[in-house]
Amino acid sequence: MNPVVTGVGFITPIGNDRDSVGLSLREGRHGIERVEFLGNPDLPVKVAGTVKGFNVESPRWREWTWPSAVHIPKDVVRGLAPHGVYAFCAIEQALSHAGLRAPDIAGDPSTGLYCASAGSAMLLHHNVAQMRAARGARGNPLGVVSSIAGTLNFNLGAHYGIIGNVCGFVSACTSSSHALGYAVDDLRLGRLDRAIVVGAEELNADSLLPFAHMRALSGCADPGTASCPFDVRRNGFVGAGGAVALVVEAPAAAAKRGARPLAEASGWGQAADGYSIAASHPEGAGLRLAMERALADARVGPGDIDLVSAHATSTPVGDAAEAIAIARVFGGRGLHPVVSATKGLTGHSLSVSGVMQAGFCILSISGAFMPGNPHLAEAARECDGLELPRATVARAPARILSNSSGFGGSNVCHVFSAPGRFTG
Amino acid sequence: MSPAPDPALPVPALAGFPPEVREAFQRYRTDGDTTAAEKVVIAAAVDYRPAGAGVARAVTDDTRLIEDLGYDSVAVAELAFFLEDVFDMTISNEDILAVRTIADLRGCVMRKLAGKAGAA
Repeated sequence: MNPVVTGVGFITPIGNDRDSVGLSLREGRHGIERVEFLGNPDLPVKVAGTVKGFNVESPRWREWTWPSAVHIPKDVVRGLAPHGVYAFCAIEQALSHAGLRAPDIAGDPSTGLYCASAGSAMLLHHNVAQMRAARGARGNPLGVVSSIAGTLNFNLGAHYGIIGNVCGFVSACTSSSHALGYAVDDLRLGRLDRAIVVGAEELNADSLLPFAHMRALSGCADPGTASCPFDVRRNGFVGAGGAVALVVEAPAAAAKRGARPLAEASGWGQAADGYSIAASHPEGAGLRLAMERALADARVGPGDIDLVSAHATSTPVGDAAEAIAIARVFGGRGLHPVVSATKGLTGHSLSVSGVMQAGFCILSISGAFMPGNPHLAEAARECDGLELPRATVARAPARILSNSSGFGGSNVCHVFSAPGRFTG
Repeated sequence: MSPAPDPALPVPALAGFPPEVREAFQRYRTDGDTTAAEKVVIAAAVDYRPAGAGVARAVTDDTRLIEDLGYDSVAVAELAFFLEDVFDMTISNEDILAVRTIADLRGCVMRKLAGKAGAA
């Protein structure tokens, strides 16, 4: 039996709760703003997908603020990175949505935690600089747990009293898709009844500017058009921060406590390009194989998919590779599912990407709509044959294929199905 | 003699502490008021106690960090680093292992500060 998603929590550039995120997706409202980093107006990075309602810019936690409705105990926030604050808020929402309270999962051997984060470059830099200033004599005792890539698992696992398992995933922009995939497998194997899956990233000079130095970011200064996946004008991704959390449960466990399934996690697949440290395979070979494996795992065919949630980050090479891969999986069989690239609205939040798309897929299924591609003016030649509606499609998708690709040629795809259309 | 720190400069580590604690620290910096420094030490000991440690009681000289305030080894390390950072001094493992009570902690920090003043 395939697991079901019973709760979702969002801290995203397009909203910090289900209703506002759903509205932004339906109405094609983006969450991208003008930004300036390090007081340098000459940097070629002019816009980003910002998180609103938080101030976590300082390396000092005492200066942070977050929505007052969320209580983060002081001894917990001290160990968190800025993106850990986002993750905490997203998990609180997801638990509440699933009808769970923190004490319900504390000390429960059947609940596990699956995290995705690249760590906090800002805090790592700050902590190491502080240590060097003292010539190694002292440093922040929580420097390690607040800044390295396992920071979410260390802190959140301890805070929530998770004992089923606690793990973290570092595969760049496929990290949270991997986290969800391995959670799905553990649930299917009966190792656990419930998984909390969370991905989070902060947005600051230390996290984002290194991508500018790779020439991977858009230099466009217009928040309304900078992120334009699949468009001929696309010239790099727009960075973003945030966190998304899911509660995923074995169907029997969800039914036992009367939780309402929002969608089924029907299957997943992964494959790698074996081609470049950063660039996609030119024809999306690994992504195509990952899509085919996800469909096979879900025991569905390409004709069963109504919506493809594209990874498309608005980079010239990556979007072209994905368009070719989608065309080969679907177009080659005369199929034209709706293709939606939501990073046009959010920007690209790296480790969060996969679980953010998963959250959007849940909203599409429960809200009976398919997000459009409002920043698409002229589709690139590689997109010939892809169904890329500009406006939201007011039709409920029964099954969605959601794509993720990351540095090192990692590709992970998930299939989500509407309740009542389960494949298990 | 090292130059005296500018008392007008804010101390980032004290952001978020009550105004009277920040004022006490300024008094210590400008006047060398050690009673004011003790106030900062006690405020830090209260601030860094783990949240799950139960009901807070009045802190006295005899209050024990672990048994009464619920400190664990990580929180002790955080408190020591905070005091090192704020007062620009080094607290060794031996120093901190000898601290059981608020009076021990205050004594430890005051000895370090006296040593600094003497060295300067």
